[in-house]
Amino acid sequence: MLEVQGLRKVYSTGGREVEALRDLTFTIDNGDLVCLVGPSGCGKTTLLRCIAGLLTQTSGTVKLDGHEVSGPPPGLAMVFQEYGRSLFPWMTVRDNVSLPLKQKRVPRQRRDELVDQALEAVGLAGTESAHPWQLSGGMQQRVAIARAVAYEPSTLLMDEPFAAVDAQTRADLEDLVRALWQRLKVTVLFITHDIDEAVYLGRRVIMLSSSPTVVQDEITVDLPAERDQLHTRADPRFTELRTHVYEQIQAAKRGRPASIG
Amino acid sequence: MRSKALLGLSGLAGLLLVIELLPRLGLVDDSYLPPTSEIAAALADELGTTAFWQAVGDTLTGWAIGLLIAVVAGVLIGIVVGAVPVLRAATASTIEFLRPIPSVALIPLAVLLYGTGLGSVLLLVVYASFWQVLVQVLYGVADVDPIADETARSFRFSTWARIRNVLWPTALPYVFTGIRLAASVALVLAVTAELVIGAPGLGKLIAVAQTSGAVPDMYALIAVTGLLGVAINLAARVFERRSLSWHQSVRGEVPA
Repeated sequence: MLEVQGLRKVYSTGGREVEALRDLTFTIDNGDLVCLVGPSGCGKTTLLRCIAGLLTQTSGTVKLDGHEVSGPPPGLAMVFQEYGRSLFPWMTVRDNVSLPLKQKRVPRQRRDELVDQALEAVGLAGTESAHPWQLSGGMQQRVAIARAVAYEPSTLLMDEPFAAVDAQTRADLEDLVRALWQRLKVTVLFITHDIDEAVYLGRRVIMLSSSPTVVQDEITVDLPAERDQLHTRADPRFTELRTHVYEQIQAAKRGRPASIG
Repeated sequence: MRSKALLGLSGLAGLLLVIELLPRLGLVDDSYLPPTSEIAAALADELGTTAFWQAVGDTLTGWAIGLLIAVVAGVLIGIVVGAVPVLRAATASTIEFLRPIPSVALIPLAVLLYGTGLGSVLLLVVYASFWQVLVQVLYGVADVDPIADETARSFRFSTWARIRNVLWPTALPYVFTGIRLAASVALVLAVTAELVIGAPGLGKLIAVAQTSGAVPDMYALIAVTGLLGVAINLAARVFERRSLSWHQSVRGEVPA
């Protein structure tokens, strides 16, 4: 379980203080898939870095499975938006996926198994000996997802992972994330600025206000668990939910809660 | 590509021809500049003597040991200083002060400490090439991508693993540039030390040839130092390209 309690982050640079996150409180149950949406510049990335233990918050706590996060916690993997910079260009695809396992001291044989399974799962079997820069953007992000999956995390953080890929690749990758989540029973926190994506992917959607950020609203997405790009997006309920989220985000930009429920 | 090499070679041939003609036509005194053919003959004679090969060996020994010390020290100190922001800030002005001191200004000190031995050559070579490597390594360390580093941290890499797997590969292209620059500078300083201090090597042979009036030999030896420089640069480039096949500067355009 991921518990975020009263999280606040103030950046101070050159005597000037910028309050990025004001007061964030939410919890995510084990095995849930939660999407965080908010207007651009609302501190989504700051929030994710605090949860990942890469950034120290000013006040408040982050707890993962009951343990307070003070550095990158075990059992957590992160997928970054900038796949091209997150993958190491000097290593092959196999070595990129395998390296975190080596750092985790997974025995060699098990490591090879996990790498093969992960690459298979993201549809990249056969590219092991290529270098990331020889692959397309979508494939590179698949490598990054495979690296996270092979790590066998209990919690997977994704920071706008599909913001830099084209629309069709994006739809494929969204389905990939849903499929992996259902298969691996992993807790997923998915950050996006795309409202449709949030509603399509999530079981819950948390809406953030603009900076300084608080939780604006939260909904449970009561769409069927089996989703597909064509039918789910045409579902009237999908439209209702996305309208609701859209209104909340618009209200957040204006700086007050919307009255429509 | 081929025609470019051909053009370069014809330029070189032109230079040799000019050097052949200038003294022959009486435009310059051939006791200062002997014609190419005489220099070539002197070079052929030199190649047959053990003293020449001994000198080449001495020069390359001083060059190689000095370069090795400079590279190892430059890389280690560069990584430590570059990776610790406090150290970086504390040493920046010291480095900027020490770096521009010309190595030749240390000749008196070298003689005082080591006389005319290998030690003197090494002191000058190491001092000159160390800064080349250090400065490049510092640039390299500063070039580490924050996202790559955050990725490594999020997967709980140890400090050593982050140095080994993120910092080092990022800095490697810079290290190679540093080594290439240092290799050229090291040769210059090795020959200078031999020439001025009289440490054994090609530089000393040049000085001896000059004082004994063997002008064609002097030119032949100068040409040899030039050829060594070219060979060192070529070898460094080949080594660099092989080790950095993944890097943008080497891999070229990839259709994505």
